[in-house]
Formats: sequence, structure tokens, C-alpha cells
Amino acid sequence: MSAALESLVYSLVPAARQDDRLKRQLVAHCEEILNSHIGQSVEKDIGHLADLIKRHLLQTTPGGSSTLRFTNLLSRLLEQPVLSRKHASLQFLYSLASTPAPTPLSSTFLPSLAPPPPSRLTSKAATPVEPRPSQKGPNGKSKADLLREYRISIGQPHTPEHLILRDTLYLLQGISGKYVRFSVSRDSDQNKELVFVEDPRYYIPAPTRALIHRLAEVGHLYQRVDSFVREREGRVGVGMIEQSLCHHLQTQLTEYYRLIAVLESQMATGSHTDDLGRANGVEDERPREEEAGLTLKRLDVWIEDWRLRMRMMSVCVEGAKDAHGGALVNLIHGYAENGDPFIRKFTNQLLEEVSKPFFATLHKWLFSGELHDPFSEFFVAVDPELAHLQYMQPSSQGVGQLASDGGFAGGDVEDVSEERAGGLQLWEQKYQFQQDMLPAFVGEAFGRKIFSTGKSLNFIRYSCHDSDWVATREKLSNTGGILQYSDIVGLERSIDTAYQIASQRLFDVFFEKYRLLDHLSALKHYLLLGYGDFVEQLMDTLGPSLSRPANALYRHNLTATLESALRSSNAQNDSPDVLRRLDARMLEYSHGEIGWDVFTLEYKIDAPIDTVLDPTAMVEYLKLFNHLWKIKRVESTLNAGWMRIAGGAKTFLQIPELEYDWHQVRLVMAEMIHFIRQLQAYCHLEVIECSWQQLHNFIQKKEGDLDALIENHRAYLDRMVKKVLLLSPKAGKEENLLNQVRDVFTLILQFREATDDLYNYCLSESARRDVEKDAARGVVTRIDGRSDGRYTQESLPGILARVKDYGMSFSERVQVIVLALATHSDLDCRFLGIRLSFSDFYKMRKEQQTRA
Amino acid sequence: MSTREADRISAAEETLNTLFDMSQLLNTGLDKETLATCVSLIESGVNPEALAAVIQELRRESTALKNSRTATNGR
Repeated sequence: MSAALESLVYSLVPAARQDDRLKRQLVAHCEEILNSHIGQSVEKDIGHLADLIKRHLLQTTPGGSSTLRFTNLLSRLLEQPVLSRKHASLQFLYSLASTPAPTPLSSTFLPSLAPPPPSRLTSKAATPVEPRPSQKGPNGKSKADLLREYRISIGQPHTPEHLILRDTLYLLQGISGKYVRFSVSRDSDQNKELVFVEDPRYYIPAPTRALIHRLAEVGHLYQRVDSFVREREGRVGVGMIEQSLCHHLQTQLTEYYRLIAVLESQMATGSHTDDLGRANGVEDERPREEEAGLTLKRLDVWIEDWRLRMRMMSVCVEGAKDAHGGALVNLIHGYAENGDPFIRKFTNQLLEEVSKPFFATLHKWLFSGELHDPFSEFFVAVDPELAHLQYMQPSSQGVGQLASDGGFAGGDVEDVSEERAGGLQLWEQKYQFQQDMLPAFVGEAFGRKIFSTGKSLNFIRYSCHDSDWVATREKLSNTGGILQYSDIVGLERSIDTAYQIASQRLFDVFFEKYRLLDHLSALKHYLLLGYGDFVEQLMDTLGPSLSRPANALYRHNLTATLESALRSSNAQNDSPDVLRRLDARMLEYSHGEIGWDVFTLEYKIDAPIDTVLDPTAMVEYLKLFNHLWKIKRVESTLNAGWMRIAGGAKTFLQIPELEYDWHQVRLVMAEMIHFIRQLQAYCHLEVIECSWQQLHNFIQKKEGDLDALIENHRAYLDRMVKKVLLLSPKAGKEENLLNQVRDVFTLILQFREATDDLYNYCLSESARRDVEKDAARGVVTRIDGRSDGRYTQESLPGILARVKDYGMSFSERVQVIVLALATHSDLDCRFLGIRLSFSDFYKMRKEQQTRA
Repeated sequence: MSTREADRISAAEETLNTLFDMSQLLNTGLDKETLATCVSLIESGVNPEALAAVIQELRRESTALKNSRTATNGR
């Protein structure tokens, strides 16, 4: 070895060849250096060393060609079997290269700065070869070192780091270690505290304690997440979204275990080299440990990423405790809006996982109308009572119940619809929209659309018995790709198309398969008296029997009459399906009512049309029919009366003293006819036809879903009811006008009776006079003057008084009605007032009255 | 036997050449002879970093000597 050193000295310092003293001095110095502790930190990894060298080469000669060459050389060198310490040789070369070569130029220019021999130590300290010169120096001890030495001297040294490290790794897994443990008891927040075990042999310094506290946070969070997952695993009836959350958490935890395992193996190698070092007699183990193994501080850096992740997970877990289903997705989505890309990424990943079951449910709902949601996590909830209801109710049951509800009282109607799970109820209540379960990334408008789409499909499938179509649709849509969180735009598109298709189909089903339009027009034609000839026929044939007391009427008679009216009018051309549904019946009657009061036409509706034409709507239709029927009756009565008066005029000529009274009667009757005609025209032309037009327009457009259709039909009906019945919006006074109009009807009927009496009186009077005249001429007629005792001379003033009385009160009533209509809030109703008093007839009369 | 010896020698030469190339690449300033000495030293168990320090030291020594000589010559 010394020979080799000598040759080194000779080759590097040529002067030493002559000077033997110098040579010896140099060799001794070299040996001293070699025996020193320089370069104890051996880089064992040749790859790392190669990296270092390459980096160095890149710095000195940019371009990379030399790096490439070095790589070639290195591979050639590694193939050579000769050298046993290749890394050492490399290290040697690298050390030489990385130390700045003393430039001969600088030394020639600055001779005085050449370091004198005693300054060797300091110059050596400047080189990075020696890692910790200050530690070596006897005076360079830091306070921490002093403290450590003091502790060793009093027999309570710091706990060796590898022991604490092991404990910390345990803590990270939520397990208590030997020196640090979780407390058994819990504090007020149900959290376990960290307790340092007081060991008389060792002492844990405060900074380390703080560090451990920091690290233990991850362990604590881990415990929380882990216990959540475990708890959910064991429980029955955990929602699918929660299950998928658990799954995701579990994968994350597995990832975490992997990290812990890696760290643990790191720690093992660390302590292993430690042992080796000790075996080799290297007394100072600290630097070595820091080089190769794991320290608390390194652990802290390793764990940093996971701390954030654990925090996020723990927050999710906390939220999941009281959120459920869609609300849970919502909660997580709340964290997705974050500026921190790490959190955003994590949350998005989580959301992607967690929302999978949601989207599976959504897919099923959106494309097949089935709600597959065993844990009620979807934002559509099914009403358990209606869930399995297949409603094809026998229609006779509906009739029976309607018959028993005793009139048009609103309260009873609700009872009826409750008892009978009609299409509307099924449509409206089978599924419910749950706002709080709706994930925020869907948005409410889309949520409504989804809700409506699924509902429509479900309805088509189960209520309209068109499941084939839905099945084919589902197959078609399946090719369109799957729904997922990351593709919100695609989701919205699919929702839109699905919504349109479903709504369109539902419309088609309603209008083509179930001929809703036919039914609507049938209702208009029959119940709203759209078919004039039919109504005329019905009135003619039914009129006589309806004048009888209600209890003398029989339903079979009514239906027979209806049948004949249908057959003798244009209505016979309607489709048999429509005619089949038309029925005549009596409302429940009380004592003293006559047929007119209780007769009603009925149109039977069955599923699924009753979704639109629900029982409530049918009651409204009946109400309208009742009113219109009354108007019609009054009109036909007046017509008959007028005909009789006009036709009988020649009879009256024989009683000239009554001429003036008849004139008065004709005036009043003309006024009445005017009133009833205007009212009728108003009802049919201005209200019913206009409303129908609006409804028709909507139907033609075919927009919106079934809800919109129901909405529109309801508006159509409401409009008619409000205007035909002249309802005023004032609370408590809604039916004031209607009652007055009904009073007017009664008056007209009474007036008609009175005029009939007058007419009969005239007939018998003229007959009597004929007999008298015949007797005067000496002809004996067979007519017995005494046969009709009712119409005697004495009864005439009474009859006249009645006629006059009714005529007067009619006029007054109409005047009141016209006045009331003039201030009606509805424009159409106001216009009716104008029509009734078109030439300001009533206004002028009022002015006359006030003047008088 | 002799062929194996020859193989060994040629291999050693090649190794040395490779190392010398590297040394040139890294600009260490060592000649082939010195490099061979150093490698043999390392092979015998000398700490490479310490050896590098030795080389540095000797170089510095030699320059110092040269300087002092030129200084004395100049005087």
C-alpha cells in the first residue's frame, strides 16, 4: 500500500523524486488522510451514483453527448469481471470530478493566496466530502447535543428514534404503541387522546412529542374512517350509495395500508444498516440512519398527502352519518367546488364512484320507467300504498259511489276520489319528487324532467298497458352509452331526449290509443249541450215525465228515453264507444223535488283516461250540465209558451177586454226570451267554444307532458265553470249572481204557468161565450159551460195579478243582474251584461225609476 | 492456463481503458498510470473519497512547491 502511495506521490509531485524528506512527509500525510473518517458515507447504490455523475456531466457540458458516452462506458465497465469494487472506483472518479480542480492559472496569478500548510483542515472543511465537520470539532456541540449528553449522564436518555418510529407506525394504524398510546377513555367529543407513557428509562423530548401529535392525527382519522366502513359492512339495509362510498373508502384505505407497509419496510432496512454499522464498529450511527432509513420527520413528509386525504374522507364519513342517498351525493358534491386541485380531484374521484348506483337507478328510471331503489335513495319516492296498484276499476263501482254522494258538494268529492284510486291520483301520488335527495349537479329543472319522464314511462307501461313500447325504447337507448358523473352534458342531452320521447309517446297513447280527443268532444257535445238537435229531442221526449215528482221516475225509463233521443238525432253517427258511455240517471233526491231537479246526463270514463278526466272534473262537468240544462228547459218552455200565445191569438179576439193584458204578457215574454237567448249564446259561443279553442290549440301543439295536459284541461274546465256559472271571485259571494239567475229561471217558469192559466181561462171563457152566442141563435152545443170550474169569472183577477206580479219581479231581477254584471271582474261576464241591456234598456228604466 | 492469464490481462487492460475514458470524460486530470495505481489502491480497500482527498492534497502540494520554487527563482 505504501508502495502504491509512493508511486502516486512521485507521479503527482515530481519534486519528491529528488527530495526524500519531502516524499516521506507526503506519504505520511496521505496515510493520515486515508485513515481519517473522510467519506464514511458510502453510496452503495451504483445506479444512484451513475445518476449523480450524469447530472454533473450535464452541468459541466450541456448537450448530453457526454452523458450518453458515459452511459456506454458504464455499461461496458459493469460487464468487466475484473474489478470487485466498481462503485468505489466510480465514487473516486466522481469525487475528483466534483471537486473543483485547482486551476493552475489562479495559483500563478495569486501566489500569496496559496494556502499555507497549517490551513489544511479548514480547506478540507470547505469540500463537501466531509459531511459534518462541526460535529467533529470538540467546541461545535449544539445545545441539543449538550442536552442529550446530559440526559445520558443522568441515566434517562432520549428514547431512541427507531423505537418511537415503530410506535408511530402503529399509531398511524390506530394501534397503541409501547411508548405512545391512545387513551382508553374518550373526551367530550368522543375522541381518544394521545398519551405518552412515562418510562423511567427514556424521555421523549417536546419537539418529538409535537411531531408525534401531528402524525397521530392521521391515525385518529384512520380510526374514524375505518370504524365507519366496518360498521356499515356489518349492517343490513345500508343504502347502495353508502355501500359504494364504503367501497371507495376501503380502496383508499388499502392504498394507505400499502404506504404503511412500504414505510415499515423502509424502517426495517434503516435499522438493519444500523445494526451493520454497529457491528462494523462505527460508533456514530446517527448520520447513517438519516441517510438510509426512516425518521419521524421523513414520515411526516410521507404522510402529508395522506393527511389531507384522510381529512377529506373523515369529513365525508361525518356527513354520511346523517345524510342519505342523494343527499349524501349532494354533500360530497359540495366539496367538489374547491380551488385546491388535490381536493377537487379527490372529490371528483369519490363522486364518480359514489354516484354510480345513483346513475344506475337513474338509467333504469329514465329509460324504462322503473324505480329500482331498494333503499329509497333516489330523488323519486314511491308511495308504498299505490306501488302495486293495478287500477282497472269496474266502472259500475264508480257510478254507484257517485250516485251516493248526493249532489255537487265539494267535500264529498274528495272522499270519493280518496276511496277510489283513480288515474289522476295514481299519476300524481304514486311517485313523489324529493327535493333534498336531488343531487346538485343535476339541477332542479332537469330533476323535474327526469321525474316526469320516468313517471310517464311508468304510466305508459302499467296504466296504458303499452310495456312493449317501453321495452323496445329501453333497448334502443341502451346503445346510447351509459350515464355517469363525468359526463354531465351527455347526461343532460339524454335526459332531454328521453323526456321528449316519453312525453310525446304519452300524448300519442292518450290521443290515439285512448282517443282522448273524442272523449273530450263527446263531453262537450253531450254534457255541455253542444248537439242542439239531440238536446231538443231529449227535452221533448223527456219533458213530460220530468215534470212528475222525482220518486215517480225510473232509471230504465230515462235510459230508454235517452236511447231514443240518440237514435232520432244526429248523435247516432257518433262512435258506439262514445255512446256506450253516455248514461242518464237521477241524482239523489229529497222530498218534493220533481224530475227536472234531479235528472242528469252522465259520461262514464275509465282508466287511464280518468287521469285527465278525474272524478273532480266530472263533477264540474255535471255542474255545468245542470246549469245549461236548466237554461235549455227555460228556453224550450218559453218557446212553447210563445207559440201558444201567438197561435191562440185568434181565440183571444173573442175576449176584447183582455187584449191589453195579453199585450203586456207578450212584452214580458219577449223580454224573457231575449234574456234567455243572450244567456245561452253567451254560454255556448263565448265561453265554451272559446275555451275549447284554447284547449284544442294546446292539443294540436303536442307539447309538454301529461302534467301539462292535465293542467290545460283543468284550466279549460275552470274557465268554463267560472264563466258559465258567473262566479265572482269574492269570497263568500261566489254564487250570488248564479242564485239570482236561478231565481229568474224560477220566475220565468212561474210566469209561464200563470200565462197558461190565463190562456186556459180565455179558452174556457171564449167557449162559454160561444155557447151563449149559440144559445142566442138557438143552437144547442154540447159543450158544457160548467165543466171547467177552475177558470171562472172570479179567478181572473187572481190570474192577472200573478202574471203582472211575476212580470214585474222578473224585470226587477234582471235589472239587478245587469247591474251586478256591469261591475263583474270578468270581462266576458261584463260583456254579457252589455248584451242583456244592449240598448241601455235596463239602464233607462232604472233612470226612470229613480226620477219617479 | 496461459490463455486464461492472457484473458485476464486483456480484460484488466480493457477495464482500465474504460475507466480512463470515464476519467477523461469527468475531467479528473489523471494519467493512465496514476489511475491504475488508484484503482489498485481502491481494490485493496481504500476509501475512495479519502483517496480522492489524497490526490487533491498531493496536487495542491505540488503546485505549492512549484510556486515556492518559482518564487525563490524569481528572488
